[in-house]
Amino acid sequence: MNHKISVLSGLLLLTVVTVQGQDKFFTKNGRINFVSKGKIETIQANHKSVTCVLDTKTGNIQFAVLMKGFEFRKALMQEHFNENYVESDKYPRSEFKGQVTSNNAIDYTKDGEYPVQVKGKLTIHGVSRDVEAEGKIMVKNGKLQARSGFVILLSDYNISIPSMVKDNISNNVTITVDCLLEPLKT
Amino acid sequence: MKKRIVIGVMVLLILAAGIYAWSEFNRTVNSLANIKADYNTPAAALIAEFENDEAAAQKKYNDKIVTVIGMVKSIEDVDNSYTVVLGDTNSMSSVRCLIDSTATAAVIGISRGMEINIKGALTGFKKDETGLLGSDVELNRCIIEHSKQ
Repeated sequence: MNHKISVLSGLLLLTVVTVQGQDKFFTKNGRINFVSKGKIETIQANHKSVTCVLDTKTGNIQFAVLMKGFEFRKALMQEHFNENYVESDKYPRSEFKGQVTSNNAIDYTKDGEYPVQVKGKLTIHGVSRDVEAEGKIMVKNGKLQARSGFVILLSDYNISIPSMVKDNISNNVTITVDCLLEPLKT
Repeated sequence: MKKRIVIGVMVLLILAAGIYAWSEFNRTVNSLANIKADYNTPAAALIAEFENDEAAAQKKYNDKIVTVIGMVKSIEDVDNSYTVVLGDTNSMSSVRCLIDSTATAAVIGISRGMEINIKGALTGFKKDETGLLGSDVELNRCIIEHSKQ
């Protein structure tokens, strides 16, 4: 009888420990889109292979993106983007490393929509800058949908627009992030 | 008469240049269906090249079209965008192939454990710094070439 109780207690403890082990959530299929509205033309691109990891215990959040994965409707735009603007041969990867500042206000075990502030370092074209953005984390059925939108200035990242195309490309670029995160089994 | 011919040719040349510029401006990204791959390589070998010397592998495969041969580890579907993950199940590292939007119909015919060939444009390597995710070689514009059961 004692032996059975020990085994049962052991199994129960293991279950509790396993269930509480869902601290980290991730995706490798996150979406990032950006739009630049020039006077003459609107340039936009989509990325469908963004990696994101969120540690729900600490609020630590990271994103990584390979620049050559941005897809444009026009081939010439895609080529200019890679060759002339972001120089993706030199700087193949962009990333964000930061913190969900309101992390303690989020109950990751309860379905709901939580407005968030995210603060951290954004690195594009070899330049790192402090960025702050508002977003939302939606908890549903054990998964997290993380969404945010913010604006950056290309000049902040040493990305220069030749005066010849100044009306086609705006220095202001709106970035939207949409990632569906699943538990990372460690 | 000669003057008219010269003017005529010049007008034609200007028109041709204009048509070329317009078509170049509107050119969309080509499908890889009829483009020959620059390299054919097994998934494990491709991953090893990047893990052993990332700079050299980056230089070799930069902007190249690669046909990767490997076993399907998983097929990920996000809003009808498919990523086929190739590699060995005993390794956390993989080759991730984002299937071209024109080639998604072929995904129905493949499943986990199958050996397949996928041709795509190499976008780079994401080294795993956390130790939790595995390092990935990434490709996009991918087309499934053929599979063996």
